[in-house]
Amino acid sequence: MDASPKTNVVVELSDVAVQYPNGVIALDKIDLEIIEGDLIGLIGPNGAGKSTLLSVILGLIKPTRGTIRLFGDPVTPENLRHVGYVPQKAQAMDINFPATVFEIVLMGRIPQVGVFHRLHQEDRERVGQVLRTLGIDELKDRKIGQLSGGQQQRVFVAKAVVGDPRLLILDEPTSGVDAQSKNEFYTMLEKLNRDMGITIILSSHDIATVTKLANRVACINTSLFFCGSTSEFASSPVISNVYGYPVELMRHTHHP
Amino acid sequence: MGVIIGILSSILSIFIVLKRLSLIGDGLSHTAFGGLSLGYFLSIVYFVDIAPIWAGTIVVVLGSIGITKAIRSTKISGDAAVALFLQLGLASGIMLLSISRGFGFNVETLLFGDILLVNLGQILVALGVLAATLALVFIFYKELVYTTFDEIQARASGIRTWVFDYMISIVTGIAVIASIPIVGVLVISSLLVLPALTSIQIARSFRQTLILSPIFGLTSVVFGLLLSLVIYSAAGATIVVVGLLMFAIVLGLNKFKSATVSRTNRTVPR
Repeated sequence: MDASPKTNVVVELSDVAVQYPNGVIALDKIDLEIIEGDLIGLIGPNGAGKSTLLSVILGLIKPTRGTIRLFGDPVTPENLRHVGYVPQKAQAMDINFPATVFEIVLMGRIPQVGVFHRLHQEDRERVGQVLRTLGIDELKDRKIGQLSGGQQQRVFVAKAVVGDPRLLILDEPTSGVDAQSKNEFYTMLEKLNRDMGITIILSSHDIATVTKLANRVACINTSLFFCGSTSEFASSPVISNVYGYPVELMRHTHHP
Repeated sequence: MGVIIGILSSILSIFIVLKRLSLIGDGLSHTAFGGLSLGYFLSIVYFVDIAPIWAGTIVVVLGSIGITKAIRSTKISGDAAVALFLQLGLASGIMLLSISRGFGFNVETLLFGDILLVNLGQILVALGVLAATLALVFIFYKELVYTTFDEIQARASGIRTWVFDYMISIVTGIAVIASIPIVGVLVISSLLVLPALTSIQIARSFRQTLILSPIFGLTSVVFGLLLSLVIYSAAGATIVVVGLLMFAIVLGLNKFKSATVSRTNRTVPR
């Protein structure tokens, strides 16, 4: 599909800058490579430009400067079909939308099928498989608005995964989800990364969890402060520089 | 003819209501009012040979494009964009009609519609619009549903959502103009909201919404027309009253049901 020599580079940003019409510079001088198989944690304080960075990769925002390559090519509707996206929960949806879990997950097959073609039995079977894999099979006939926050997030992951993406992008997927569901959710991501070989970009506030889960970490605050393996990150002083205060990496340690 | 309008508007209403554009019908019907007035004005005052319906169609399509463009831009919110076009259409329409009035033109027909004055040409136009709309909805069904559900997710997965935004609003504009002779400017917008709003209350899936909405739309048109003949009222008003009544009944039944039946989650395959 892509004949580029660096086929293992999934996303490549070089010198990317985004300035909003109101003059705010959201991103500046971002150089970042995401390699096939990565589970990369994207962290940074509120307003650091995490969502903007993801939007740029998804082609939702055009960068003011710099280039983005997705699977070695510029971002187009065609290569976006190989990307699954789970948006921030808060903005995600209208809880009165009259659709079942099955119908919503099926939407994830639409880009694969293409305009002027109808969804087939194979697409429905694929939905069934993904629902079983993610353990939400029994929810398939429920209306999306009746589910808990954690369940809804799983549905959105199912919808993103059902299109067999090479890259999965999650924007703060666990904000507003309770701790128990959060852990289950992260276990599920690990499984998708390890067993299905999907490259994952996960943006999060939750530094402690991200550093446990991810093999690489990118830390941004308008520009890129750090990008490297999780172990390097843990021993680097970058985190307190970015946040302006010391941050505990292991927030859940027990005090006997 | 009423049947065609009923089906057409109730299918469109699903996308309109779920996209939170419930007032777009109001904006477009007033834009259409401006366009039709322009047509009457030109033909009555200047003897320009243009059927008002065509002037109205041109203006309303331009209006649909304008509203969608304004909604999609970040500088102005959707409801403000709709309000702007509503006022523009209404003001220019009233202005043009008050000039034309000296020439013996009956405004009431335009405002309230008159089913008895519908001619064969209008029926054919409406039939054509219905066929075209149904075809578009059928061909682009999955993209329309996805765009309606979440525009950003749809766009992020490579769907050209702007095409479908414009498609819905232009088709709605044309549906509005085709319905005006029957139901009038003032109430057409309710047919673009009530059927979906009513069906959403009870539908358990999108598929059910798609089936129920035309049923509610058709029922309100048919019973509304019958009622108008019985009580000698303008058809547009009785159609809306029947629609509102059904909405109230459904809402009431829903309340009653959820009060008596403890939450069951019966599953229907697919």
